[in-house]
Amino acid sequence: MAVIEVEGLRKEYRSRRGRTLAVDGLDLVVPEGGVFAFLGPNGAGKTTTIRCLLGLVRPTAGRCRLLGAETPQNLATVIRRVGSIVETPTFFPRFSGRLNLELLARLDGIGRKAVSDVLERVGLADRADDLVKTYSLGMRQRLGIGAALLKDPDVLILDEPANGLDPAGIKEVRELLRRLGDQGRTIFVSSHILTEVQHTADRVAILSRGKCVASGPVGEVLAAGRSAGLIVRVDDMAGGLEALRSAGIAASADDHAIRVMLPPEEAATVTRTLADRGLYLTELRPDEVDLETVFLDLTRETPKEASP
Amino acid sequence: MTALLAAEFRRMRSRHLVRIVAGLALLGIAIAGVIVAVRSSPEVGADPRFPLTMLPDVLKGTSIPLIIAGWLLGASFIGADWRVGTITTLLTWEPRRPRVIVAKVLACAVSVFALGMALQAVLGGVLSLDAMFRGTTEGIDASWLRETGGVAVRAATLATVASVVGFAVASIGRNTAAALGAGFAYLAVVENLVRGLRPAWQRWLFTDNAAVFITGGNVGLSFQRTMFQALVLLAAYAAALFAVSVVMFRTRDVN
Repeated sequence: MAVIEVEGLRKEYRSRRGRTLAVDGLDLVVPEGGVFAFLGPNGAGKTTTIRCLLGLVRPTAGRCRLLGAETPQNLATVIRRVGSIVETPTFFPRFSGRLNLELLARLDGIGRKAVSDVLERVGLADRADDLVKTYSLGMRQRLGIGAALLKDPDVLILDEPANGLDPAGIKEVRELLRRLGDQGRTIFVSSHILTEVQHTADRVAILSRGKCVASGPVGEVLAAGRSAGLIVRVDDMAGGLEALRSAGIAASADDHAIRVMLPPEEAATVTRTLADRGLYLTELRPDEVDLETVFLDLTRETPKEASP
Repeated sequence: MTALLAAEFRRMRSRHLVRIVAGLALLGIAIAGVIVAVRSSPEVGADPRFPLTMLPDVLKGTSIPLIIAGWLLGASFIGADWRVGTITTLLTWEPRRPRVIVAKVLACAVSVFALGMALQAVLGGVLSLDAMFRGTTEGIDASWLRETGGVAVRAATLATVASVVGFAVASIGRNTAAALGAGFAYLAVVENLVRGLRPAWQRWLFTDNAAVFITGGNVGLSFQRTMFQALVLLAAYAAALFAVSVVMFRTRDVN
């Protein structure tokens, strides 16, 4: 079952300065369970999509469904099963963290014990009775995560949850998300910390200029972005390059290594070719790309042609 | 809806500004009580002796700061939500926007009415002590009690109407300052322009109808209107502005 479905979503903001297209015909399906990462550079439309899903902004065109309910029309029927953070979580600065959560908890008939438990869980128990205005950005983020967890939701929609957190906090959030995903909950998380996402997410969608440019299991997206290749190092780099080329193998070199345009399965061809010339490998490995590389490749701006 | 109302009442009760307004009002009442006690003489025949029969006139006078406080509390209640951005957080818990805004305005209006009545009761109590020990309670009877109660209820009602108007304007403008600015511009500019250029329209002005409602008379006014008619008109203004704010809140993007 798809937990989140977005079809042809388009959102255009109008202002005196003109129109801004934030989301441009986005299609997206998030299956039930696990961690789904929603990636994109600033201004790609991630937050607008999340706002549309949560009924905060109205789409110009297209439709969104959350847990099968059309949003915003039927959002109220499922909102109790959805916890969320949109950008930096906002709370009343002159109220304590505890009071802020208690005000929200009251809306769903959630008791004070659950509030205390959540504050403990996000590491704010000691500062729960301090005013939110004395909290650091990271503490506010933790409070936001606490608010999102308060309903014990089936679906968590988190917009940049690691914002403002220190490395230890980021690790905690990563582990928390993974744990929640492993419990069968669906975690939809937008992030720009790609290395974290790569190790946490099961699936990923990459957004560029309001459109989805890649989507699927993390491994598949990485594989699709990987150009077949091998990284080779020998003591005599120039000789190695020449040997490979003369054997009809496409290769290029920089100061550190030779990049061979062959799939990893044909590594034996490389070793044989070099060995035949008396050149012995010091390194041979697949030319793997990480999520960051795929992300940058997919979201790179195409240079605009000069106007006449 | 009950849970939403309960949360909004609790938020209203916990607000810093509500406490500041209540604290300042209590301080003002205490100072007024002391001044009245000092200036009033307990000697029979001495002048001046503070007469408790003056209390309705005192309450008519204090209705003005009460109305301003109501406006401010109403405007800041929703204005703070927009300024801080907590409206976003709230809508991710309760996406039915009309419910949200109705619960907020109800919590605000009921709280302002209760606060207005409570402050006037404290003021009445302090001045009653002054009258008993340093002034006179002559002329106090059932009709005085009815008149005093009537003025207090009307002043608190007007403060409530002002809070709804302030709430609606702040919701439309999405911040407290917009409501305060619009209020000042209306009272200082629009009403004076209307009085000067279109005297016949005076019967539709907020302050003139507020004066009719509080004083129960039409002294100094160029039109005749009963208290009830004035209340209906003021309530209609508040309802119309609130309806506009609901429609805008229902349809606008929350960023």
